[in-house]
Parts: sequence; structure tokens; C-alpha cells
Amino acid sequence: MKKVLGGNDAVSQAVSVCDVEVISAYPITPQTSIIEKIADLIYAKQMNAQFIKVESEHSAMAACIGASIAGSRTFTATSSQGLLLMHEVLHWASGARLPIVLANANRAIAPGWNIWAEATDSLSQRDTGWIQFYAANSQEVFDFIIMSFAVAERSLFPAMVCLDGFLLTHTKEPVEILDHDAVKPLLPKSNRDTLDPKNPKAYGALAFPKDYYAIKKQQHLDMLKVFDIFDNVALEFKKISNRDYRAVDVYPTHISDYSIVALGTLSQTARLAVDNLRKEGIDVNLVKINMFRPFPVKQLKELLSDKKLIVVFDRDISHGKGGIVKDEIAGGLDLCNVVGFVGGLGGDTITESDIVSCFLDAKNGQIKGLFL
Amino acid sequence: MKLAKDEIALPNNLACPGCGASLAMRLALKALGRDTVIVIPACCWTIINGPVGKNYAGVPVFHTAFETTAAVASGIKASFKMQGKDHINVVGWAGDGGTFDIGLQALSGAAERNDDILYVCYDNEAYMNTGIQRSSATPYFAQTTTTPEGKNRPKKDLMGILAAHFVPYIASASLAYPQDFAKKFEKAKSIKGFKFIHIFVPCPPGQKFQEDKTIEVAKLAVETGVFPLYEIIDGKYVLSKKPKFVDITEYLKLQGRYKNLTEENIEFLRQAIKTRWEYLNKRFNE
Repeated sequence: MKKVLGGNDAVSQAVSVCDVEVISAYPITPQTSIIEKIADLIYAKQMNAQFIKVESEHSAMAACIGASIAGSRTFTATSSQGLLLMHEVLHWASGARLPIVLANANRAIAPGWNIWAEATDSLSQRDTGWIQFYAANSQEVFDFIIMSFAVAERSLFPAMVCLDGFLLTHTKEPVEILDHDAVKPLLPKSNRDTLDPKNPKAYGALAFPKDYYAIKKQQHLDMLKVFDIFDNVALEFKKISNRDYRAVDVYPTHISDYSIVALGTLSQTARLAVDNLRKEGIDVNLVKINMFRPFPVKQLKELLSDKKLIVVFDRDISHGKGGIVKDEIAGGLDLCNVVGFVGGLGGDTITESDIVSCFLDAKNGQIKGLFL
Repeated sequence: MKLAKDEIALPNNLACPGCGASLAMRLALKALGRDTVIVIPACCWTIINGPVGKNYAGVPVFHTAFETTAAVASGIKASFKMQGKDHINVVGWAGDGGTFDIGLQALSGAAERNDDILYVCYDNEAYMNTGIQRSSATPYFAQTTTTPEGKNRPKKDLMGILAAHFVPYIASASLAYPQDFAKKFEKAKSIKGFKFIHIFVPCPPGQKFQEDKTIEVAKLAVETGVFPLYEIIDGKYVLSKKPKFVDITEYLKLQGRYKNLTEENIEFLRQAIKTRWEYLNKRFNE
């Protein structure tokens, strides 16, 4: 069935079919319509869940941690400053191996106050041990939320679905939706270790260096298993949806001289730029990163290692370094033929012609600077 | 009333000798029983409960970040409700730093929502676990490593702050009065909604007294009127024990943290106790 949904509507629609038991959230633009819709669904008894209306995002994540260690499927949504406030407890959620799902409406970070799209908020959480997905349209938002619950529960890592503020959260488009019964086989009741008075254990206790080291090493090694878990979930998801997902997408073909790399809605703009460049006879493709953590090094190497030049576009910035995605590609793949541009910060417009001209500058060795 | 025989908390935990916080957990669990889960933030009990593989509390413990106790407890309770396990007591167990200071926001949130949890503050009146730094629960003139001159502000009235949230049950409890202590935990257990219990716990290394004087310090805190024992039940103040108003010097002289007090300081404290009790007595008589 198709419905016209904005990105935020797609989030709440997906959450409503996943048997989520506990939601905890705090309002922040542009996330608000997600949690308003969930409140409506619970009020209308279309969702059977507890919604803890906390006094901060820090407590939102803390309450999700509590509900998750007690055995419930949990969800929260936030954005920008809210995600940053959660930072400490994001680490706690992943360290405690809790399959919490979070939707982040990507928004710029103050000062100055700015509510528009930028991915620095979630990209700067890349080291918190969360699985991260970046959606380019409302269909992906809907699908990634559902797959996130499955991947999170099978890997015992929390998962974050990122959608660009306003560009995606508030832009309506047709979305093929799945109902509760269709999704159910993907999300069996998990048998993970939870608080139980009959088995009085302590969770997250004091760990001396040798124990701590072993725990953190295991956390990393287990995170690497997410690639296979995601592939399996994607396969099962395809059976119920007929939609095919990979950690990294390529358009229109993997064989090309050049590649443009982007994530989120920026990849949609880059796709148009690739069309335009190919019309001009330039052999370039688009590599779109869907899963940013764990970082799909193997998949990206297969796609990018034989290119003459890779041009990465970032709607985010690490001050004193540059684009975060560019840095991850160059460092993670150990490549020297990577050029990066930063643009669109705080929701500033990036058009396909911006991308075309930056790409051509890079190709011709005439880069004017980091910024678009 | 008799204390339950069941020893839920296990012996040989990692507490310092004479630790009031250790005894507080033992007594609290006797009243709460085994159908209890506990949330512990950064505090002495992070250490007391033992390293990976140990759990001296004897009931499930979730260790959490410093400021998150109340929110995590709310989350656990919401989950238990959804799973039909509503009978399990969900307890937040935090020190004064985690309650009066860094955890106050989450505590206020859970109280305002009237979430069905019991929040216990075991108050040793400073950041003892990090080496005796002042908190907003540190009383006037007490010496800590960050107030070498003695603190120049009073202890925060946390019971008053909680009362302003219109929650069903708030109480203070003392280790020197175990029956009263256990009765308050049993009462809290029987009430739906948000409950708060404030325990003054003597701390030999932090408050600087001999480790065999824990109960004596606890008792004098009550008998001098420094730590009033009372309940606030649905907004109504109920006195638990009228102190003898033993002179404060009896309490102060046991503790090294008060060793530099002048006669003027002591007189100031006598007046502060008087003022505090005038304020409370008005409420007890309402």
C-alpha cells in the first residue's frame, strides 16, 4: 500500500508496525512531528506502548536504556543539540549492548541557532558504538527503521537512522508501507539477557584494565559482524517488500573512471549531477553510503579502489580537518586520490550544478578550496 | 516491628569499614524483598557492589551514568508494566552528588511524572568516592578537599524540593533507627507512584570519625536535630521522631570534618537548627 509521507511520518509509521513497547523522547525541531504522531497513535490505541515524556534528551536515552535492559523494544527520536546532549548515554547504550533504535533528524549545531539540515550532529557520534544508517528519501527512512530493529536485536547494538532536517523530515512523497503482520517475521521476540530478580546479576560493573580491554575488544569484533547481519536482514526484508538494500549503493553502474561519494539527501542531488556529467560524456558514477557504522570498508574498496579520482561531498564539517565522510573514505580505504568538498552547512542550498562544477574543478586539477 | 530475617545483600562487599551506605542497602533490601531491581549511578555503591562478575547487592543491579538514575528507573518500570511484571520494585540508589547535584534534573522529571519508582538517596554529605569534595548536600562549615576553609553555604533542602513536586511519599530515614527505617521502605513499597527516601549515612573516612562510631554519629544526627526524621505523605508532613535536641557539640566533636569550628560557628549552627525546626514544626502542625 502506498501513502504520501514525509520523512518524519515515515519514521512514526514504521515504529507503529514494529511492536515497540517503550518510547521516550523530548521535543526538538525538526524531530517533533515524529513524537507527536506516536503520541496520537498511542492515544488512539493504534499502538500499545508506554511513552515516557522526559525532561531532556539525556533522560530520553537513559529511559530507553532502562526499558531496553528490562527487556522491551524501545525507540527515541532527536536532532542536533539533543543528540549531542545524549552523547554520554549513547556510549552507555552501545556498551551495555542494548538494541535501542533512534531516529535523528540531521540539523546544524549552534551557535548560531539554525534548525536546518547538516549531518555534523550524527557524524560526530560515529565513535559511540552505534550502527548508523543515512536515508536519502522517505522510503528508505521507513525501511531503515524497520531493518534497524532487526539488525539491532540480532547484533545487540543500538542503531541510528539519520534523515536530513526539513529536506527529508518535512518533504512528502509516496512511500510503499508494510503493515504489522508483514514485518512480524523479521522481528521475533528476542531472548537477550535482561534484568530478572530470579537471576540477580550486575550489569556494567567496575572493570579493571584486563576485563575492560576484553569487553571493548569484543564490542569492536561484534560490531564487524553487523555487515553479515545486515545482509541477512536485507535479504529477509526483500522477501517482504521486494526492495533491495545494501550497505553501499552504486548508480548507475560500478564500472567508471570516476566516482562521486555522498550520503543522505545530498546523494539524491549528486545523482542528478552524475546524470548531467554522464550526458557530457564523463564516465562517473555515484557511490551512496547507506550504512556509515560499522564502516563498510570492504564494500567501498570493491567499488572505489580502481578509480582515477574520487570526489566526496559533505554536508558536515570537522573544523581543522574538513568533511567527515571524505576523511573516512580516504583514511578508511587508505587512498590518496580522494578530494573532498564541504557545502550546504546549516541547510544552505546545494544544487546539482554546484556538484558538477566542483567535480570538474577536481577532475581538471583546479580545486579552488574546500568549500562549495 | 521486626526486621525480615532474609539477608539479601551479600557479605564481604567492597565497602570501607564502618560504611553507612553498606548497612543502608542491607536494611533497605530486608524491607523491599527479592522482587527488586536496583539502578546505581556513579557513587560509592559502584565500588561496593564489586567488579565484573560480582553483585553484592543480591538483586539485579544496573550500573548507569552519574545523572541518569531516575530516568533509567522510569524506563525499567515502563518496560515491566508492558511485560506484566509491574510487581517488581524498581529502585534508584544514588549518593548525594548523584541526587542533589548532577542527577537532580532527571530526578525532578521522574517525580513530576509521578513514575512508579522508589528513589533512594544515601547521603554521606560529600563526593566521598572521588575523595571528599563538597556537594550541595555538604552542610555548613564541613571541611572537604574542595572546601578546606569549611563550606560557606547550607545543605540543600532536597525533601522540600521533592515536596514541591506533589508526589505521594517522601521520607527521611536513619541507620540508628532500623525499625523506623524498614517501616518507611515497606510503606514506600506499598504506594503506587513516585517515592523518595533520604538516608543520612555516616562515612568514617569522609566525615573523619572512628569506624566503630557509625551508629553513634547517625543517632546523634537525629538527636541533635541536625537530621530530622519525618515523612511527607501526599503533601502532609508527619514527624517520625521528636529529637531530644542534644547540644550540637556532641555531634560535631565526633567528626574531624568539623575540627576547625569556632564557638561562633557552633552558635550559628545552633540557631540554624532552631530555625529549621521552627519551619518544620509549622508544617507538622498543619
